[in-house]
Amino acid sequence: MREFNVLVVDDEEEFRDLTVKRLEKRGLKVLGAESGKQALEVLEHSHTDVVLLDVKMPGMDGIETLRQIRILKPLVEVVLLTGHASVDSGIEGMKLGAFDYLMKPIELEPLIEKLADAFERKRLQQEKIEQAQMKRHMAMPG
Amino acid sequence: MELSNYYTKIWLRLSGAFCLLITVPMVILALVTFSNLKDAVIDKTELSIGRLIEHKKDVVSLFLEEKEDLLKILVGMYPIDFLGNQENLNTLFKAVNQAGSIVDLHVIDSSGSQLAYVGPYAKSITGKNYFDAPWFQEVLINGSHVSDVFLGFRKVPHFVVAVTDPLKSYVLRATINSETFNKLLLSAQIGPSGDSFIVNREGTLQTPSSQGQKELTVHDKTLLEHHEGTAITKTGETITATRWVKDGQWCLFVKARIEDSLGPFYQNRRNIISVIAATGISFLVLAILFSNYFLRRLELYDRKRAELGGTMVQMEKMATVGRMAAGIAHEINNPLQMITNQAGWIGELLPDEDPALVKNMDEYVKSVEQIKHHVRRAGTITHRLLGFSRKIASEKQNVQFNDLIEETISFVETEAGYNNISIIRHYAEDLPTTMADGPQLQQVFLNLINNAIDAVDQGGIIEITTATGTSNDIILEFADSGPGIKPENLKQIFDPFFTTKDPGKGTGLGLYISYDIVQKLGGSIKVENRKSGGAVFAIVLPVIKQG
Ligand SMILES: Nc1ncnc2c1ncn2[C@@H]1O[C@H](COP(=O)(O)OP(=O)(O)OP(=O)(O)O)[C@@H](O)[C@H]1O
Ligand SMILES: [Mg+2]
Repeated sequence: MREFNVLVVDDEEEFRDLTVKRLEKRGLKVLGAESGKQALEVLEHSHTDVVLLDVKMPGMDGIETLRQIRILKPLVEVVLLTGHASVDSGIEGMKLGAFDYLMKPIELEPLIEKLADAFERKRLQQEKIEQAQMKRHMAMPG
Repeated sequence: MELSNYYTKIWLRLSGAFCLLITVPMVILALVTFSNLKDAVIDKTELSIGRLIEHKKDVVSLFLEEKEDLLKILVGMYPIDFLGNQENLNTLFKAVNQAGSIVDLHVIDSSGSQLAYVGPYAKSITGKNYFDAPWFQEVLINGSHVSDVFLGFRKVPHFVVAVTDPLKSYVLRATINSETFNKLLLSAQIGPSGDSFIVNREGTLQTPSSQGQKELTVHDKTLLEHHEGTAITKTGETITATRWVKDGQWCLFVKARIEDSLGPFYQNRRNIISVIAATGISFLVLAILFSNYFLRRLELYDRKRAELGGTMVQMEKMATVGRMAAGIAHEINNPLQMITNQAGWIGELLPDEDPALVKNMDEYVKSVEQIKHHVRRAGTITHRLLGFSRKIASEKQNVQFNDLIEETISFVETEAGYNNISIIRHYAEDLPTTMADGPQLQQVFLNLINNAIDAVDQGGIIEITTATGTSNDIILEFADSGPGIKPENLKQIFDPFFTTKDPGKGTGLGLYISYDIVQKLGGSIKVENRKSGGAVFAIVLPVIKQG
């Protein structure tokens, strides 16, 4: 499996830390953030491919954080994860361009699969952009 | 039983109230009318009795005056020498007594001795002297006298009229036959039990009472007070009119029994009563008919309301239960996540251990897997309960139910085939398409068919029917040849977690989810036991056109 960078955003410390530990053990580069605000800071200063985002958090909630991420780093893929399914937030999240909307409890394997899929999309997306840039570059007369 | 008793009570009260409402005013009206009618009859009787007595008084007075006048003319015309002669008197008697009301004639000189007499009692009165008789003195003083009635020597009632000539030289006296006089009064009778007679001042009857009254009653006597004109009194059932005649010496009595004049009144009353009875009976019939009608409406209304109340209660219950279940599911999801995370972490670390040092390595690995397995189970429940996936995916398309059901059947056909279960389709050819959420409805059909497969034994039959409903809707029926549903379970069959299956085999969410989906699509789902055995689930969904 390719190595990629994941940011786990969840206000529940136990979940966050354990998830970080387990994903790292699988060879991913993982950071944790305990709030939407912190997540945005981390995104600005370090390279992130996929964000695993809890929908229900105190302060800035998952949906709002997602909106900010789309503005800040449009290429970063976001996977929403929640224990509280709400139709509205689910639909809203998908509309805002989240990669998927997952529900707890979820085991690590399917989770990693989802994250990998998200990374794959991001990679393809990036490739396309790079190719387009390259074409433009080459088309430009020397 | 209890209920029909309740309705009977209402019916009784209603029709009773109607009857009272109708009969009471009618009876009051009738009674008032009767009383008025009776009063009118009495008034009329009083009026006619008054008129009658007036007339009779005139007749009696006239009769008496006539006799008096006759005698006065005689004494004025003939001197004592002429009338004192027996022969002359005889001739005269014949001349004046053509009517026969004069019994005899006396001529008496002023000293009281009889000069001449013509009449039947000649022998018994010859040689009598009347000078000391009070009536003789009265004649000499007043010029005339009319006596009370008395029984003469032959016990025949008669009375006497006597006058004297202006010189008071002699007295002419006539005895008048009372019979003639009585006849005059006879015609004064009102009704068969009426009466009319004359009494003197002392109350002695001067003429016979046609009712055989021999003397005045105590009450009659109180009427003897002297009064002017006619006095009319009513006592009990009798109206009595009195009138003084003959200068206050005699009193004329006319009596009428009210009863006698009531004939027409009774006739009237009979008519009114029969009219009232007829209307009363027709109103009674109407009241009963109306009460019946009203009661039938009431029963219908009550039943409808109960049904409506029932579905409302069911819907509310389902909504509450649904909210509660969702709330619990939400809260459980986070701990479940932690359990599976921690177990997974153990599972990941175990391979790092030295197998020689960990005695029960295999057990740990197995145990971790079991924990994860059970969390998966719990997760499946909470996810189904929250309808997570279906809510997100929900999307409406134009759906043909026949095709959709057919596709669903294909998922389970193999399993059904193993158990030798046949699925019979009764599809309506012209079933309209409708806008609905296909995948969700497929989930509903799958739940129902799976339940049916679970319910029937080997060789069971499942029947699926589609039909167009009457009010722009589609009816889908899933029937089976299984044991049906126990009546006590019918009420809770759609509740989440209601199951009769062994733990691990059924979560009791299938029907709850189906109910929820159908409800949200604007339809309804109902269950019944078929008379031919087995359960039948009926789904009604509205036909919604695209656009
Ligand atoms: N066709 C049927 N005949 C007889 N009983 C039925 C039928 N369908 C449902 N039931 C009864 O209703 C109960 C509830 O059904 P439901 O589908 O909600 O749950 P389940 O089948 O027990 O579990 P699940 O569908 O969640 O796996 C069943 O356990 C069964 O007792
Ligand atoms: Mg079921």
